[in-house]
Amino acid sequence: MSSSNQTTVIVRTVVRSVVPIIILVAIGLLLQGHNFPGGGFIGGVLTVTAFALVYITYGAEYLSQYLLGLTDGSVARRETQDVLDPDTAFFSGTVGRYSAVFGIGLALAVGGGLGAVAFGEPFLSQAVLYFDHIPVFGVIELASALVFDLGVYFVVVGSLLTILAVVGNE
Amino acid sequence: MSAIVAAPLLVALAGAIGCLLLRSRPRLLRGVSLLAGVGYLLATVALARAVYADGDAILVYYLSGWQAPYGITLVADRLSVIFIGLTAIVSLAALWVSIKTIDASGQRISYHALYQFMVVGITGSFLTADIFNLFVWFEVMLMASYVLVVFHSGPEQTRAGMQYVVLNLLGSAVMLLAIGGLYATTGTLNMADIARRLAEPAAYGIAPGPVLGLTGLLLCVFALKAGLVPFQFWVPGAYQAAPPPVTAMLAGVVKKVGIYAIIRLYFSVFAVASIPDAGGLAVVAGKPFLVVFGGVILVMALLSILLGGIGAAGRNNLDALLAYSSISQVGFIVLPLAVAATTLPGDSLFRAGVLATIVYAIIHGFAKGVLFLVSGAIEDHVGTLEFSQLGGISEQAPVLSGAFFVGGLTLIGIPPLFGFFGKLLVFKVGVDAQNTIGWIAVGATLIGAILTITYVTRAWERAFWGPPNEFVEELTASPSVVAVIAGLAIIIIALGIGFQPVYELANGATSAVIDTDAYVRAVLGPESAHAIGGGLR
Amino acid sequence: MTEVVLAIVLGALYALGTFLVLRRDVVRVVWGVTIISQATNVYLVTMGGIHGSIPIVSHGGGGHHAVTDPLVQALVLTAIVIGFGTTALALVLTYRLYQEHGTLDLQELATTEDSQ
Repeated sequence: MSSSNQTTVIVRTVVRSVVPIIILVAIGLLLQGHNFPGGGFIGGVLTVTAFALVYITYGAEYLSQYLLGLTDGSVARRETQDVLDPDTAFFSGTVGRYSAVFGIGLALAVGGGLGAVAFGEPFLSQAVLYFDHIPVFGVIELASALVFDLGVYFVVVGSLLTILAVVGNE
Repeated sequence: MSAIVAAPLLVALAGAIGCLLLRSRPRLLRGVSLLAGVGYLLATVALARAVYADGDAILVYYLSGWQAPYGITLVADRLSVIFIGLTAIVSLAALWVSIKTIDASGQRISYHALYQFMVVGITGSFLTADIFNLFVWFEVMLMASYVLVVFHSGPEQTRAGMQYVVLNLLGSAVMLLAIGGLYATTGTLNMADIARRLAEPAAYGIAPGPVLGLTGLLLCVFALKAGLVPFQFWVPGAYQAAPPPVTAMLAGVVKKVGIYAIIRLYFSVFAVASIPDAGGLAVVAGKPFLVVFGGVILVMALLSILLGGIGAAGRNNLDALLAYSSISQVGFIVLPLAVAATTLPGDSLFRAGVLATIVYAIIHGFAKGVLFLVSGAIEDHVGTLEFSQLGGISEQAPVLSGAFFVGGLTLIGIPPLFGFFGKLLVFKVGVDAQNTIGWIAVGATLIGAILTITYVTRAWERAFWGPPNEFVEELTASPSVVAVIAGLAIIIIALGIGFQPVYELANGATSAVIDTDAYVRAVLGPESAHAIGGGLR
Repeated sequence: MTEVVLAIVLGALYALGTFLVLRRDVVRVVWGVTIISQATNVYLVTMGGIHGSIPIVSHGGGGHHAVTDPLVQALVLTAIVIGFGTTALALVLTYRLYQEHGTLDLQELATTEDSQ
């Protein structure tokens, strides 16, 4: 899958213009998820769909190194430490980074739930703040459920990218 | 409303996340995992103290503040606490053995996070009062266990893992099917609300016939998790494939989740329902649901005891023998339930049956924990568990052998060990019943006990007696592992000699099972039980 | 009418899933399991959507509108997420099975086990 010769110009051009739109829609779904159709899971799946399109048309290397910026450190370190300690190479490599996103997302989701406990409310309780008279938007709702949704988003993105990278490497 | 209910769950969850985030620091990772194990034990102690503070409290926790039956409710009563206590002790011991025996790279990559997630799933299953949430916790537990079963990669492990995964995926689909059906027929997912509605089906417009069928479907799923015949196919393969501490958890604790669900749902929640007259089931019309479940459980228990026992007696591999023994012992665990099901919850025989099941489940948890940890220690150093390659372990490793001896004898039921009281209670329930089912149970217990003696003796004689061969002379287990295993064995002896407190705890748990009204009142509010048309309508 | 159509669809899905689960090829078995769990999701939506009492709506005063039960949809979403993870795992396991045994035929897998 490393060579980009396998895909046609049409596919590559379409992917280039479609990917930003998909990611924008995904973020929109994530932000409105506490009150409207959408949320962390569907936003995350859609984001990974965009990444998967890039992966299919441009290859795994392009996705991890150029698009997600995992070049600095990971490749260089992997080359030097591969001999010394395969585990360290695993964690600084692409799969390790992806699965770290999974852990961070889970921590965010549970941490958001625990935040309610700190205020004396039951685990996972949520609250909403309304900001009135904001120019252009009118009213902005700031829901604490967004923290949970963001956590779910990262969990989904992290786990799907991990699956994509691991299965793609086979 | 007390936050302590969620404490064990949150400790394990925090431990799992900590293990996920700290994977690049192996020492810290192991420290966090161990801390989570100890913290879980402490949280369990605190929870148990809170539950027993007023003698018989039922602590309720509404997640995110949504009142039952709308939100997800966590409930800790005396039944949940006794099973969480078993989980805390066995999982901490198995965790220590994991740290010492699982290879360092495996521990770093995912072992600890998965292990903690398994504990999260188990704890959630014991605490939840919502049947769909029960499904979710089952999945959390199973998903972690799928990966843990295939943790040592190898052709045999993958094959056994595949079988385990496919069977449990089918089980999950069936469970979801039954839960969806129960929601459609009863209009609620909250266990307390289901009990309230089933007690007065006409008032809530519920047809009990479909409910009976759906609960029967659900029983198959729990039997699959508990590894009862005819759903036992995954047991030997998965137990031999999984790393030994994981097997100790699977046999000691994960199976008990199935047992717990059967006790909680069928002997507390669904026990209030009775079969309609106009259901085409003339023989059992007007009788409680339990009559049908009792018959089904009786057949499964008898077959499990016999097939598991005969299978164990014929194995030539220590792990395989223990796996088949586990099938047989789960038969013993549910057998008193079948006898209890012949009566109504108010009856003393019902109480005795449920009590015997709870006691036997706890005994089996500890005994199988010890036995699988010993077999794991042997396998780690000798490299095989085939009887033809073993022999003379008692000379080479006296403490490990002593622990195995205690575990084996407690399965047989020799006084003064813990297991004696389990067998005693099972026999007593059968004799006290004074009916055909009671005598069948006594007969099955006798045959099962003889089979147990046969296979435990065989394992002891083939693997532990005689002169040590050159493989066994390699056996030098780490002292701390031996100490942990010996500690579990000492717990078995201590619980046998000081059986009275255990009996009191199990008796309290049984009272919690029987008093469905108290459960409904605690979850749904004081005025809800027996208020026809009250509450929702 | 919808009930009849959905019942037929569900029946067909379960039949197809069961047929595939009983095949000798492991990939087909995994697909069968996946189809059965998807059929269960469809069933779940059916159970809440068309009939049955709807706890939140009937209690909250919105009972005059024709509203489908939101709870089953939340349940199905949860079930889909779980099913997604387990399907990925089952497929990876299938791949590893093929790598290690060189076959995906259940009969052959059983015989390789005996010979070992």
